[in-house]
Amino acid sequence: MRRSKQLGKWVIAVAAGTLVLAAACTPSGDDDDEGSGGGELVWAIGGAEAQPAGVDQKIADLWNEQNPDNPITIEVLPDEADQQREQQVNVLQSGSDEFDVLGTDVIWTGEYSQNGWLESLEDVRDQIEPEVLEGAFNSAQWDGELWAAPFNTNAGFLYYRTDLVDQPPETWDELCQIAEQVGQQEDIGGLIGQGFKYEGFVVNWLEYYWSAGGELYNEDNSEVLFDTDLATQTTEFMQNAMDDGCFAPGFNTATEEEGRAAFQSGKAVFMRNWPYAYQLIQDEGVPQVAKNFDIAPLPTFTGEGTISALGGFNNAVSAYSSNKDAAKEFVVWAATDPEVQKMLATVASVPPVLTSVYDELQNEPDMALLSEVLPDAKPRPPAPTWNTISVEMQDALFPAYNGDADPAEASDTVADAFNESVEE
Amino acid sequence: MSAAAAETRQTGRRRSRGAVESATRGRAWAKTALLAVIFLWCLAPFFWLIMTSLKVEDSALNSPDLFQGPFGFKNYGNVFEQNFDLNLRNSLAVAGMTTILCVVIGSLAGYAIARLPLRGKILLLTGILAVSLFPPVALVPPLYELWLKLGLLNTYEGLYIPYTSFTLPLTIFILTTFFAAIPKELEEAAKVDGATPFKAFFRVILPLAAPGVFAAAIIIFVSAWNEFLLANTFAPRDPEVAQTVPVAISQFTGAVDFQRPIGNITAACVVVTIPMIIVALAFQKRIIAGLTAGSLKG
Amino acid sequence: MAGAKVATEPRTPSGTGPGGPRTKGMSEKGLGRLFVAPAILLMIGVALFPVIYAFVISLRAYTGRLYEGYAGLENYREALTDDKFWASLEFTLVFTVTSVAAEFVIGLGFALLMNQAFRGRGITRAAILVPWVIPTVIAAQMWYFMFNVNPGSVNALLGLGDFNWLGEAGWVKAVLIFADVWKTAPFVALLLLAGLQTIPTDIYESARVDGANTWQRFWHITLPLLRPAILVALLFRTVEALRVYDLPQVMTRGSFDTESLSMVVQQYVVQTPDPGLGSALSTLTFGIILGIGVIFVSLLGRELTIGRTDG
Repeated sequence: MRRSKQLGKWVIAVAAGTLVLAAACTPSGDDDDEGSGGGELVWAIGGAEAQPAGVDQKIADLWNEQNPDNPITIEVLPDEADQQREQQVNVLQSGSDEFDVLGTDVIWTGEYSQNGWLESLEDVRDQIEPEVLEGAFNSAQWDGELWAAPFNTNAGFLYYRTDLVDQPPETWDELCQIAEQVGQQEDIGGLIGQGFKYEGFVVNWLEYYWSAGGELYNEDNSEVLFDTDLATQTTEFMQNAMDDGCFAPGFNTATEEEGRAAFQSGKAVFMRNWPYAYQLIQDEGVPQVAKNFDIAPLPTFTGEGTISALGGFNNAVSAYSSNKDAAKEFVVWAATDPEVQKMLATVASVPPVLTSVYDELQNEPDMALLSEVLPDAKPRPPAPTWNTISVEMQDALFPAYNGDADPAEASDTVADAFNESVEE
Repeated sequence: MSAAAAETRQTGRRRSRGAVESATRGRAWAKTALLAVIFLWCLAPFFWLIMTSLKVEDSALNSPDLFQGPFGFKNYGNVFEQNFDLNLRNSLAVAGMTTILCVVIGSLAGYAIARLPLRGKILLLTGILAVSLFPPVALVPPLYELWLKLGLLNTYEGLYIPYTSFTLPLTIFILTTFFAAIPKELEEAAKVDGATPFKAFFRVILPLAAPGVFAAAIIIFVSAWNEFLLANTFAPRDPEVAQTVPVAISQFTGAVDFQRPIGNITAACVVVTIPMIIVALAFQKRIIAGLTAGSLKG
Repeated sequence: MAGAKVATEPRTPSGTGPGGPRTKGMSEKGLGRLFVAPAILLMIGVALFPVIYAFVISLRAYTGRLYEGYAGLENYREALTDDKFWASLEFTLVFTVTSVAAEFVIGLGFALLMNQAFRGRGITRAAILVPWVIPTVIAAQMWYFMFNVNPGSVNALLGLGDFNWLGEAGWVKAVLIFADVWKTAPFVALLLLAGLQTIPTDIYESARVDGANTWQRFWHITLPLLRPAILVALLFRTVEALRVYDLPQVMTRGSFDTESLSMVVQQYVVQTPDPGLGSALSTLTFGIILGIGVIFVSLLGRELTIGRTDG
């Protein structure tokens, strides 16, 4: 009997505690966004810059100063792009007007527009097109229609150690030669990039493929130009680079941050990475690296020009927004206002899309290099089925470059995926 | 008994005592070695976690050496700047409610299945099990729609109700086995003394099954605390409302895009683990206590 | 026990104990139904709906997210002819068998140890629980970071240079299994510890008097009496392992044939949405897991309802 009472007391104590807790903090503050507050906007965007201390918040503050009638608040989405998409999709699929402005990865344009989730921006095309970078602009349209306003862009750099390499290589073969030779001398790895099985690997693979002269679609995305032979050569190049030690150890498990870890700790001669790493390596790399590295355009196979895959985010207007006009005004403003776009670069080192900003910032090495490589950078086609294509590419090409599958067969699989995207 | 016989027995006992002593010493050594291995297995990664959480900025990226600094508590400061206390509160409330509901509802059902006459028990158990077997990711779209209609998104209810239903099968299975293991005579005796079945359950069975009940309670609490997928879908963003700890940690960002804040993540992990161990230990004490106090003879 | 049963069995169905005519209002059968009802209602309310929903969706055709009409069993045909499905099934089964077996052995060891009185037992019990209370998503990230070549924490610890744990076909699975065992062995330990606590000590005493040694006592007393707890632990670890998602998703993204069934489901439900195929895959996965679960339940059911089959 005594024990049962004890047990009872225990249960009651826990129960009471929890109930009090639950009662004390029952949500009360979530009603205010349901009120049909005339001109309020919600901007659903994720990542570091969407955090309260990030540049997106400063941009929102600036907008709110200038447009007190249509204030915008940020709904902070998660850090990872996949999860941002998941959360946006949940809201959009339910037809909710919770979000007005959507921060969308450059590869989502087609999918979102096909599902009818986006408001067309054709009527403001003329305000945006002449002002922004061509690649970024192309990532915001699908089927000849503009669905989003570019916001920020991104391109790959070649990071190299100036204490080990005199001149940045201009071809991939040259790079591999130096990587193997210097790597062996110094007992460190060669090139580190993004070789893990994820979207970043597709980006890296495409950069090799494009720089060998490959194409994916024709101008208006109506015809597939995927070259299986070139694709096979590309995969074989990566396979050899793995085997010969051109790629640094851990290349096939590296994302952006593993790459940065290898490079800034002095374990790699070269790194392919986005501009974000430039400042971080100077601030946080081991001294030997922090003082002795530089950035250059990515090499090509031909030695001519440079190619990079485009990253970045656009701002789209939700088709379910109850305040579309103001939302549209906001996305155009965020794409074309010089002050906003300059803030991206100066406050956060995020590559802007407004062409004029780059002319202003020629003194900053990363921005100067960006203005050099961005005109030749290519967006991944923002096709409605891009995710499917990308998954097929990862499934086929990853094992192939790791020596577990035949590169030629892998190319055929990828070609099928592209062909299907057009048939649909 | 002759004196000689008594003496032999005496020496025999003495000798065996000596043997026992050396055996115990050997065993003590083996036990210490075993404990060392267990501590290493369980705690080495946790030690890594603590050391990494103390490395400031990105120094964790520069060297895998655990003892290479610079060290500091900056990461912990960052964690609490992000409303992490609210996340802890939410997780505590959701996991606590889930535990109570599961234990109460699950005890009743477990007792009925173990002890009361019900038809088709195996079928019933199979049905109960089936509830927890659907791939979680496939549960999300229909439940999201339903939750939206019922206004359960971003509420505690929206989390502890599904947690309860999906954890009930495990609870019922655990409790049923424990109820079934308790000798029936005790219950019958209580009934002979005039207790109703209801009373017999509360006064006799439940206390005796205390180890099982507390084991179930810890398991429920921890799994509700750690659940990610549903929490991330039903209450993804607002820590003021219902965002739980794992969701919050997964959404930590670096200072710039792409940067992974490994220091903050590990710091948050350490912050969460310590109260969890205290809770689990408190519950676990009851499992052990069940034996000593609840002698099965009633 | 048999005696007690014989003595009481005829009495209970009528619901009247000798001293208790007040129980007349509620028969044991009624009480049983009443006790089970809340659980059943709650589970049906929340859990049955998605299953039916998925089954209905699995019979429909979609392009992307757009509904195209009735598809019959086409989605099932597509799922069953997809190499990805079979590859993931194979990996999932291998993963489940190895990790659950290892978890059982280690968990049982932990439980036997925690059940003994020794100095420092409290701190040992705390230590054993540590891996389990770290959220899986976070643990997976932690292991990904630690096993990665860069910066290479595990390699530094073991002095292995640049060994590529997550990038070598043979090792990837071992690392995943290790991470799962590390994380969930404490769960098995807890359940078995609770089971050990219900074994009356006097049984051991009398066995010791009869001259049974430690091993014999373990084999002939502990294991048989622990059987229900073992079955429950194995059952729930097995169905959990069959649905494994976070670990391979974070640590390998399915590279080197480590894509699990749940990852394939996730792909078609979320990543490259095809609700019809996704639902068909979920239903198939559900069927497979249920099939394995039923084997356990029938083993366990016999255990639990012994002496009650006639009730």
